[in-house]
Amino acid sequence: MITRARVERVLFLAFAAFMLAVPWLVPALTNPFWVDVIAEILIWSLFAASVNLLFGYVGLLSFGQALYFGFGMYGVAIATTDLGLSFWPAFIFGILAAVVMAWVTGIFAVRLTWHYFAIITVVFSLIFYFLALSMKWLTGGDDGISFTLPPTFSIGGTSLSFTSATFQYFFILATVSLCFYLKYRLIESPLGKAFMAIRDNDVRASLIGLNTYRIRLVAFLIAGFLAGVSGALFAFFGRYASATYMFYQVSGEGVVWAIVGGAGTLLGPIVGTSLFIVIRELVSTHWEHHSLIVGVMAILVVIFAPRGIVGLWRDSLGRVFEPHGRPAEYELRTEP
Amino acid sequence: MSEPVLRLDGLTKRFGGLTAVDRVSLSFAPGTLHAVIGPNGAGKTTLFNLISGLLPADGGRIFFRGRDITGLKPHEVSRLGIKRTLQVKSVFPRLSVAENLWITAQAKQRFLNPLRSAGRYRETREKVERTLDQIGLAALASRAAGTLSYGDVALLEIGMAIISDPELLLLDEPICGMSPAETERAVEKIRALALEVDIIIIEHDMQVVFGLASDITVMAQGGVLASGTPQQIAEDERVREAYLGRPEDEDYVEEEAHA
Repeated sequence: MITRARVERVLFLAFAAFMLAVPWLVPALTNPFWVDVIAEILIWSLFAASVNLLFGYVGLLSFGQALYFGFGMYGVAIATTDLGLSFWPAFIFGILAAVVMAWVTGIFAVRLTWHYFAIITVVFSLIFYFLALSMKWLTGGDDGISFTLPPTFSIGGTSLSFTSATFQYFFILATVSLCFYLKYRLIESPLGKAFMAIRDNDVRASLIGLNTYRIRLVAFLIAGFLAGVSGALFAFFGRYASATYMFYQVSGEGVVWAIVGGAGTLLGPIVGTSLFIVIRELVSTHWEHHSLIVGVMAILVVIFAPRGIVGLWRDSLGRVFEPHGRPAEYELRTEP
Repeated sequence: MSEPVLRLDGLTKRFGGLTAVDRVSLSFAPGTLHAVIGPNGAGKTTLFNLISGLLPADGGRIFFRGRDITGLKPHEVSRLGIKRTLQVKSVFPRLSVAENLWITAQAKQRFLNPLRSAGRYRETREKVERTLDQIGLAALASRAAGTLSYGDVALLEIGMAIISDPELLLLDEPICGMSPAETERAVEKIRALALEVDIIIIEHDMQVVFGLASDITVMAQGGVLASGTPQQIAEDERVREAYLGRPEDEDYVEEEAHA
């Protein structure tokens, strides 16, 4: 029998097969530069996943995730140039820089919720954006830092590095997949359930014994980790770090990707990010105002599909396979 | 007399110029179902908010089994075993009925494992299944709690109270808004629950209060007007005057209707 779960599993396997075949399939079908576009989509999906973890699962809308992306990026660049570290230590250094930053800012930020939380995350990211611009000796200011790629693995005389486009692609695919797998495990875990309980009703969550402050802080650290990994990957991918990626516009894009794809769904960020980056790549060469399309789509989705594209998809699958099943939409009932 | 399960000593809460709870001193004996009644604005819910740590007290102290719990955070109070329901029914709307119970049962664990699947906690799962049967919501286990009828949400709240293994349960108008049939079911659950747990209940339905409670405290304008057995309260002149005696009071009208 065809069920909803089977349809979703087949689609997921097809998607996984496609992702594995990209380095050969895409050049055979179209311009090879799309392999790099897909790698970039993967990296930014992880960034959108960071926004999604906070907004979709804990109910905290952060407009400052670019800060941790930027720290991941600068961490890698500074580690390879100034500290002369090799690939793995630099990678870890970048991620740690992001997590530490998330910890320092999170201590203050997660005391607040809703718009106050959104505002404080923007403020933090703006502070460090301007600091990064002015601290030229460390960050290169406007110019950023370019660095030479260290090899990822070197065994004996042979070494593997991002200079091989195929290796670069698979390294990014593996890292991003691992992070999404960890996020999947997290969502299914007791901590994940606690996240969602706090998202749904934080007063009630505290009354059943959940330490809402501590749990929100943990969520913020994990989100900082995801953003840090994506920033570190992006640094290796571009061999470059720059303050422009710490600007709040980047944070805002992450929010739009996550919401349009489907906040509170595991794969929503991938869908949203793919959509907008493909649109950008297709349209921006012909029309400079491609961000207008982004804006219009974001507005339409927020009004007509509050659970994003993945939510729409689930609803339509639900209508096909469970026409009399439970309603996918819920109502908030607060009064008799 | 044994040590009171909960003792309030001069508890006070002010909101600006308004003293919502005014030097309330009360003792709740163990093994009782204690009802707190009083007109709207008497300070009953504020009292619960102070006990459960949602609001800081401006004065006075709260003792739970002799331990001073004044100033503890809500989750700390909850972990001591003082659980409560809210007046406005309040569950986790996007989680399923079973998940609501699951996280409530699991919440007392200090460590929430981020990698182990929630489905693998056999003990908690069995507890959830038992509780679902107990409250009669097994058929709705996978429904999102936000899609339940009002009466079912109230039952779920009671289930969440049961599954958390409370030592003291604060129920804030648990049957408010229920149909007569639902009220009957809920009252039965509360009566059964009272055999195992100490309960303090805020309720407006006088028939329910006088049918359930072994002790009643009447609050008015933030203070305690009277405290005693249902019979003492029913005969108390001050209570009649200040609370039951006002013809415009809807609770009075309700009581008349039931009588």
